[in-house]
Amino acid sequence: MSQVRITGGTPAYWRSLAERADTPEFREMVRRRLGENVDWENLAPSTRRKFLQVMGASLALAGLAGCRWPRETIVPFARPAGYTPGVPQRYATSMELAGVASGLVVTSYDGRPIKVDGNPEHPQNRGGSDLLAQASILDLYDPARSRSPLSREIAGGAARNRTWEEFSDFARGRMTDFKSRGGESLYILSEATSSPSMAAMRARLQGAFPRAVIAEYESISRDNERTGAVLAFGRPMRAVYSLESADVIVSLDADFLGAHPASVAHARDFAAGRRNRDRVKANRLYAVESAYTITGGKADHRFTVPSRWIPVVAGRLAAEILGDDPGARAALAAYTSHPFMPRFIAAMARDLKCSRGRSIIVAGPRQPADVHALAHAMNAALGNVGTTVRYAAEEGPERPSHVEAIASLADAARAGKIDTLIILGGNPVFDAPADIEFARALAAVPASAHLSLHEDETSRACHWHLPRAHYLESWGDARAWDGTVGITQPLIEPLYGGKSPIEVLSILCDPSPMSGYDIVRRAMSSFAGADFEAFWRSSLNDGFVSGSAYPIETPTVRPLLHIPMRGAPPAFAANDLEIVFVPDSKVYDGRFAGNAWLQELPDPMTKVTWDNAALISPATAAALGVRADDVVALQYGGREVEIPVYVMPGVADRSVIVPLGYGRTAAGPIGNGVGASAQALRMSGAMGFDGGLTVRRVGRVHALSCTQNHHMIDLVGLRETQRRVGELVREVDSETYKRNPEAVRIRSEGEPAQLFPPHDYESDHRWGMAIDLDSCTGCGACMIACQAENNVPVVGREQVKRGREMHWLRIDRYFSGAPERPEVSHQPLACVQCENAPCEQVCPVGATAHSHEGLNEMVYNRCIGTRYCANNCPYKVRRFNWFNFHKRTVQIEKMMYNPDVTVRGRGVMEKCTFCVQRIEGAKIRARVEGGRPIADGEVVPACAQACPSRAIVFGDLNDPQSRVHALHVNARSYGLLEEINTRPRTQYLAKLRNPNHDPEVQG
Amino acid sequence: MSAREATQLAMEMAERRSPLITGGNDFATVTDKICSLVEKPHPPRAWFIAFGVSLAMTGVLFAMIGYLLLRGIGVWGLNSPVGWGFDITNFVFWVGIGHAGTLISAILFLFRQKWRTSINRFAESMTIFAVICAGMFPAIHVGRVWFIWFVFPLPNQNLVWPNFRSPLLWDVFAVGTYMTVSLLFWYMGMLPDLATLRDRAKTKARSFIYGALSLGWRGSNRQWHRYEVAYLLLAALATPLVLSVHSVVSFDFAASQVPGWHTTIFPPYFVAGAIFSGFAMVMTLIIPARQFFGLKDIITMRHLENMAKIILLTGSMVALAYATEIFIAWYGGNPIERFTFMNRALGPYAWAYSIMMTCNVLVPQIFWFRWARRNLWLMMIVSILVNVGMWFERFVIIVSSLSRDYLPAAWGYFKPTAIDLLTLAGSFGLFFTLFLLFIRYLPMVAMAEVRSVMPQAGLEHGGHRGQGDYHGDIPAQHEETGA
Repeated sequence: MSQVRITGGTPAYWRSLAERADTPEFREMVRRRLGENVDWENLAPSTRRKFLQVMGASLALAGLAGCRWPRETIVPFARPAGYTPGVPQRYATSMELAGVASGLVVTSYDGRPIKVDGNPEHPQNRGGSDLLAQASILDLYDPARSRSPLSREIAGGAARNRTWEEFSDFARGRMTDFKSRGGESLYILSEATSSPSMAAMRARLQGAFPRAVIAEYESISRDNERTGAVLAFGRPMRAVYSLESADVIVSLDADFLGAHPASVAHARDFAAGRRNRDRVKANRLYAVESAYTITGGKADHRFTVPSRWIPVVAGRLAAEILGDDPGARAALAAYTSHPFMPRFIAAMARDLKCSRGRSIIVAGPRQPADVHALAHAMNAALGNVGTTVRYAAEEGPERPSHVEAIASLADAARAGKIDTLIILGGNPVFDAPADIEFARALAAVPASAHLSLHEDETSRACHWHLPRAHYLESWGDARAWDGTVGITQPLIEPLYGGKSPIEVLSILCDPSPMSGYDIVRRAMSSFAGADFEAFWRSSLNDGFVSGSAYPIETPTVRPLLHIPMRGAPPAFAANDLEIVFVPDSKVYDGRFAGNAWLQELPDPMTKVTWDNAALISPATAAALGVRADDVVALQYGGREVEIPVYVMPGVADRSVIVPLGYGRTAAGPIGNGVGASAQALRMSGAMGFDGGLTVRRVGRVHALSCTQNHHMIDLVGLRETQRRVGELVREVDSETYKRNPEAVRIRSEGEPAQLFPPHDYESDHRWGMAIDLDSCTGCGACMIACQAENNVPVVGREQVKRGREMHWLRIDRYFSGAPERPEVSHQPLACVQCENAPCEQVCPVGATAHSHEGLNEMVYNRCIGTRYCANNCPYKVRRFNWFNFHKRTVQIEKMMYNPDVTVRGRGVMEKCTFCVQRIEGAKIRARVEGGRPIADGEVVPACAQACPSRAIVFGDLNDPQSRVHALHVNARSYGLLEEINTRPRTQYLAKLRNPNHDPEVQG
Repeated sequence: MSAREATQLAMEMAERRSPLITGGNDFATVTDKICSLVEKPHPPRAWFIAFGVSLAMTGVLFAMIGYLLLRGIGVWGLNSPVGWGFDITNFVFWVGIGHAGTLISAILFLFRQKWRTSINRFAESMTIFAVICAGMFPAIHVGRVWFIWFVFPLPNQNLVWPNFRSPLLWDVFAVGTYMTVSLLFWYMGMLPDLATLRDRAKTKARSFIYGALSLGWRGSNRQWHRYEVAYLLLAALATPLVLSVHSVVSFDFAASQVPGWHTTIFPPYFVAGAIFSGFAMVMTLIIPARQFFGLKDIITMRHLENMAKIILLTGSMVALAYATEIFIAWYGGNPIERFTFMNRALGPYAWAYSIMMTCNVLVPQIFWFRWARRNLWLMMIVSILVNVGMWFERFVIIVSSLSRDYLPAAWGYFKPTAIDLLTLAGSFGLFFTLFLLFIRYLPMVAMAEVRSVMPQAGLEHGGHRGQGDYHGDIPAQHEETGA
């Protein structure tokens, strides 16, 4: 399973013990593992007896080699006095995605990281995490990751296994060549990164090879924001929002709660602002968007506008807000004279103007630069700058945009100007704009190397493929959205002998390559004070460098007349469709396509798993004559992609939304052939959206596997769903609630009769949960967290289609309201641990029983699998092991299992346990520490821990001071299906609605 | 009309009834006819064809079960929310079939319905085989069949005990008791006939086997006396079982909280349905059997007509139950329950619901007409359709209720797999295999009992076989003489 690694840092493969035992490294390792008293003479296997002795010793070593401790000293988060085997340790680290870090804490059991969570101390994450961070642990152990460097004689041809030494030799040879030319025709392409170490290494490389070109490309780029800031301020600035203190928020095609690098912070702040009753005003969110995003789902008012007309909305809104300034009026004339004039804009502007200094206008990364410039101008005019909108300078102000960078790199390649191309991460062959034809350009490069976790599309098109170390295996650093420097510390030795990008750069430019550890320490020294070691220790402990956020600046916006704007988009024909590219909520740009947890996670809005689809509105579907699951050919820019249709209420008419990141061809056994590649239609001129799309029916049907409404629902079911939604997901008016909470009390009164005697919890804990539906965005981080914590298996596309997904926690999604203006509600639902549990009564063998702390417990080894409990569960949260879903788990993936949770075999029922292993862990700790009481908040289930918006609260209901107790008696709380007297332990808090009663908005 | 006149009229009407046994048979010919079926060296060719097909289907059944045990319950089409599909549908269906046997043997016995004698062995055997088929499904439907013994209250070192609150456990006992009593009843009733076969045996082997099976029956007065008392007692024991088994089976549903299951009408409704389907199955089996084996004199048109009447009666009871359910769903005012019934009729399972309604409510109404009750082809078709309808009744109750309960987000749709369909077909294979073996090796008509209802028995004058307190099958005074 694992190769033996030795202190020197070079991997050693040995064919016989004799060969191995002779090396000094081996002696060193044995000494390290077994202590100093090793009889070296007897280790020479000259006799059969000695051979057996050595075999025995080597078996012991093989066992020890399973514990892959990293070589350097890493500082455990909780600083235990001594290490106790079997006791989990937590280390802080950081994960960088598209140049933005999130601060994480990783739980490790005996050297095996098993769970990723948000770092509670980190200023951005503050304990929350998103689903990509949660799911990243699965990538670490992915057996499909590449295991050694590969080389190809011809790019795209057959590959040969190589070693890192061979690559180093190759690279050194190349670099000696370049030395004389100053690095002429050496190109480095990397992912977006904010890593100080990476910057240092780039500078080092640039120093050694001054004429080398270092480019950066990210397919889901926020360059429009940068350019917008350049338009508005003259230099790239980054907006940092304080959603907690905003009263009115307007989103212009911006999914700031879902697809934003700071979405974790946004979700928490937005939710905190909403539920804060001390505020003068209840906050209100307007969303203007074409796709139905989770931000739109949280909006009090959502307006569906095609993406290409959102600039008009921005222009008209700016005209309303800046209208007093004649210069601005003139600059905005093109917008105000546009035929598209929705009525809600004026009302929205009035609302904004009533909240000067306490409002935010956010423009989405898809929108062109001038929309961002207008947003900056409006925020400035509304006095929001410095209060709710803060600015910080962007890194690398002079770098070209990602699209320009990749285009010029491709041009250089085609022109034969590139001799050697090193691609550090990313997958440009898959995700570069289609019109650049990057693969063809790459073929013209004489020598190319690609560093990545998997041997992907780009690796296959390069001469060398280098296995990349996962962020949990390597040293690194990166900056969060607010600039806080996070340190990535490895939790485990590289499982497959990978290296990090900084280490590869060091191979290129250093005669004796530095280790990642040294590079990071060197880079961090610029942040340290006098005592570097103390700084290093505390930063590693915290996971970030405190006080390292970007300085806040207050730039002034240029007058609108001086801002060059593209102007309003022209009107388009009635049958002209628009294509909108959106980052996928799960696989992002395709880099997580090999992650089975993410593939199986239902999309928050569509509930589609293992696929992407063209999302179109019901009216557009009717106009095109297509139905759900029909395969259509999207034709745009002379290219064509076949993709199934998903009819999504709330999508703008004549907009076709296509999530990126699917249709991978070299993503390993999980990701290959899942979905259709929207990248194939994405051109460098229209990375966000464009008109001119035609849709043709292919005549085939591709059944999408959804976890909800597996088929087009009939009228009877649809009507009933509409009738029930208001009862299931309750809403209260936030103004009323603010004035008098008791006025909204919604719980059904009266206690129904009891057949069985009630349980007695007087003397003990009474665990309970509260879920604030107003805070929940439906993002799905809790589902992945639950899956990771509880060893929940992945079942695959076909089983999901059959309705056999195993998620213990699901998020129900309901549409309500008029079909042309649907509102969406999300309701996370796991076992609610009924006090009168219908499942307990009906199990013939007593395999599900009530604990004295009120948990409804599953006894797996007692369960015979009658499924009667699941039938009788009104919430349908029980999951049955229809097959042995863990059968195909390979050995390496088993390292990821949580040792505190049973891996369930086939034929047994399972369900949410309220993370009983964590409850018991806390009880044991409290008992060990002298029988102290368990503090409120000490027990946190995985879902509550992950939730970015802190929507889930867990605790002891017997403790009148606990937060969960307060929420259970809150006026907004209610029990789901409480009318059937199940007495659920999980209570929901009703959604707050803060509608603007202006008739122009309502209309 | 005076009482005397009424009695007179009743007697006249009774005389107009056709006799129970026709064709000029006497004791010897009846015995000959029935025994010869077992004694013939070769059964008719039709038997071989039917047996071959049934045996092949039984093979399919065991192959399907083997595959199920190897792979897991996922080979069926079940999902969340539909945790029970074909498995429990088949179980309830077969248990229902098994009701006619005991009803005919016990209840009709207690009510002195003499016409039962020609068909009761048939029906009882069908019961045994149907309960075997039924019992198989709960056993194989569990996820870990190797731990099925957990449902029995066996003292064990883990000190674990079944949960007596669970209706599924009640089921284990109800079906187990029913199987035991039915088996005893069937076997004990067969003793005199087995002894007849022993006495007529031409070979040593037959003599030995039937001798062993007849447990030393000699037909002495004392034995007959004991036999009659025991038979009566078993009949009295079995009678409440007829009502209890299907009531308990219905508790699986009624005691749950699933809308569409949680209904107080279920026990009587299920019992009526069970008798309905049981009689239909007896009819389906008996019509070809009497044709192929020349038993038209013993199982006469009158028997068939009586069964048709019972099918009409129980079918109407079932229809009443359907109507009551729908009425209560509306009248009860529970919106979730109301939706469940709307959904049954108009939702995704409307196709199954209309099959059920057509076959169970409309089709049997044809038996209001006398010509229909005497048309063998029609009776055959109706009886098969009734069983199709009754299978779908259970399917509709189980699957459509589960597929859409409280939370619309958790709704689903059950689609059977090939394994589901083949297992169902295979259970018919097992049933027919057992049945064909029965008619080949055991007396398919209760000869002793038939003889007792023949005029030659001389029991029409109120006599009795033994002592004064004889409670056996005493024909009424007005039984037809002649033939």
